[in-house]
Amino acid sequence: MNELVQTTLAAPEGDISFIGLFWQAHLVVKIVMLGLIAASVWCWAIVIDKALLYARTKRQMNRFENVFWSGQSLEDLYGTLQNRSNHGLAALFVAAMREWKRSHEGARPALGSLQQRIDRVMDLTIQREAERLESRLLVLASVGSAAPFIGLFGTVWGIMTSFQAIAASESTNLAVVAPGIAEALFATALGLLAAIPAVIAYNKFSSDVGKSVGRMEGFADEFSAILSRQIDERT
Amino acid sequence: MRVGLIASLTGHSVVLLWGLVALPGPNSFSVPQVESLPVDLVPIEELTRLRLGERDAEVRDVAALQPSEQPEPTQEEPDETPGEAQNTQATPPAPTPAPEPAPTPEPAPVQDQEAAPEPAPAPDPVPVPEPEPAPEPAAEAPPAPEPEPIVANVVPRTKPTPPARTSRQQDENFQPNQIAALLNKVEPAGGATSQSNTPASLGSRRGEANVRMTQSELDALRGQISQCWNPPVGAVGAEDLNVRVRINLDQSGQVSGSPEVMNSSGNPAFRAAASSAVRAVMRCAPYSLPVAKYDAWQEVIINFDPREMLGG
Repeated sequence: MNELVQTTLAAPEGDISFIGLFWQAHLVVKIVMLGLIAASVWCWAIVIDKALLYARTKRQMNRFENVFWSGQSLEDLYGTLQNRSNHGLAALFVAAMREWKRSHEGARPALGSLQQRIDRVMDLTIQREAERLESRLLVLASVGSAAPFIGLFGTVWGIMTSFQAIAASESTNLAVVAPGIAEALFATALGLLAAIPAVIAYNKFSSDVGKSVGRMEGFADEFSAILSRQIDERT
Repeated sequence: MRVGLIASLTGHSVVLLWGLVALPGPNSFSVPQVESLPVDLVPIEELTRLRLGERDAEVRDVAALQPSEQPEPTQEEPDETPGEAQNTQATPPAPTPAPEPAPTPEPAPVQDQEAAPEPAPAPDPVPVPEPEPAPEPAAEAPPAPEPEPIVANVVPRTKPTPPARTSRQQDENFQPNQIAALLNKVEPAGGATSQSNTPASLGSRRGEANVRMTQSELDALRGQISQCWNPPVGAVGAEDLNVRVRINLDQSGQVSGSPEVMNSSGNPAFRAAASSAVRAVMRCAPYSLPVAKYDAWQEVIINFDPREMLGG
C-alpha cells in the first residue's frame, strides 16, 4: 500500500500542455518533433509559393491567349515580348518566333526543315516550363509519405521509453506511463499534421501542372500549324 | 520562394501560439466515488436445512421431526442400503450414521466370501472344490507327425461355413414372461437427513433446524465489541491471554445476566484480561444484530484474542 502511494507521488506531475509535452520528451522524440515542424514549415512554404506561381501562370496564359487571338500582328507581338523574361505560352511563342526569325535572317531563308526545328524548340520550351512548374513538388510528395513514418518512429521511441520507465519503477501504475505515451503520440500527431496538407497539396498541384502542360502543348500544336502554313505558302 | 517561406513561418508560429493560448488542456477525469456494496455470501445451507415439523407436536424452539430410531441392524435385512433410513426426506443427504451390520451371532463360515449374512441355518459344509478333471489323455494333442508324402495331403480347400448366427440362441433364451423379474426392484433411495434425537416439534419460527449468522454479521458483532475492548497490553505474556466469554443476549441486543468467563489460565494477568473482556461486553451493549436470527445469537461465545488486537 505504501509503495503504491509512493510511486503515485513519484510519478511526474504531467504538464499536459503542448510545450510541456515537448520539454518532457526524450531527446530522440524532440529531434523528431523539431524535424516534423521544420518539414511542415517547408511544405507550407512550397505550397504558398506554388499556389502563387500557378495562379500567376494561369493569368499570364489567359492574357497571352487574348492578345494572341486578338488579330494583332505576330511580328508586333514578338517585338513587345522579345526583351522580357517570358513564361508559359509567351515563352513558347517567343522561342518559335526566334527560330523563325533566325531562319529568315540569312541571304537564303532556310525553310527546308524549319517546321521540324520549330517543333523541337517548342518541345524543349514546354519541357523547361514544366520543370519550372514541377520543381519542389517532390518535396511535398516525400513529406506526405514519410512524415507519418517519422512521427511513428518518435511514437515508438517514446512508448519504448515509457515501458522502460515501467520496468524501472516496477509499477504498472498508469501515471508512470501516461505522460510518456502522451508525448509519444504527440510526435505522431505532428507527423500527420505535416503529412496531410502535403499530400493534398501535392495531388492538387500535380494535376494543375498537368493541365498547364496540356494547355501549352495545345498551343504549340496550333502555333506550329500556323507557322507550317506560312512556310508552305513561302516555298 | 521567400514569400512562401515567410508566410509559412508566420502561419506556423501563429498557429502554435494560438494552440498554446486557446487550446484547453485536457480535463482531468473525475471518477465518481462508487460506494462499495457489501456482498454477503449466504450459505445455501439455510435453505436446505429447512425442516418440516410434525403437525401434532408442540411448539419448541428448534424444529425437529419425530425422533427416529436407529434402525436396528437385524440379521434379516443386512443388505439394506445405508440411505434407506426410516425417516427419510428428499433433502440432501447429511452424514448418516450408517447402520452397522451387526455381527452375525452364529459363526459364519469363514470361507464364505460373499458376506451374505442370510440366516444361515447351519454352516454348510464347505464346498470342496472339485478336483479338476484330470487332463484327458491327449485327445487334442497333436498327433505325432508322421512322415507322409506332402503331395498326398493336398486337399482342395472347402468353403468355410459361416459362423452360425447367435441371435437364434438369444431368442431362445428370451422369455417375455420374466421381464418383470429382470427389472430392478430396488426402491430408489434418497438421501437421508440426519437422525435427530430431539423431541418432535411443530416447528420453529423460521422452520430451520438451526440458523447461522453470516460472516459479515459475525464481523459486525466482533467489530462492535472490539471497539470497547482495552486489552491488557503491558502484562507479561499478554499475547497469550485468551479469554472466552459466554454472554446471553435478549432480543433487543442487551446482555442479559452476567457474562461468564469460560476458561482460566495460570497467568497472573488473566484476571485483569478477563475483567477487561467482561467490561468490553457490558460497555458495548446493546448490540445491533438481526432479530430474525435471534436463535443464532441469543447465546454467544466470544473469544478475546489479544494477538489479533495487538498484531492488527
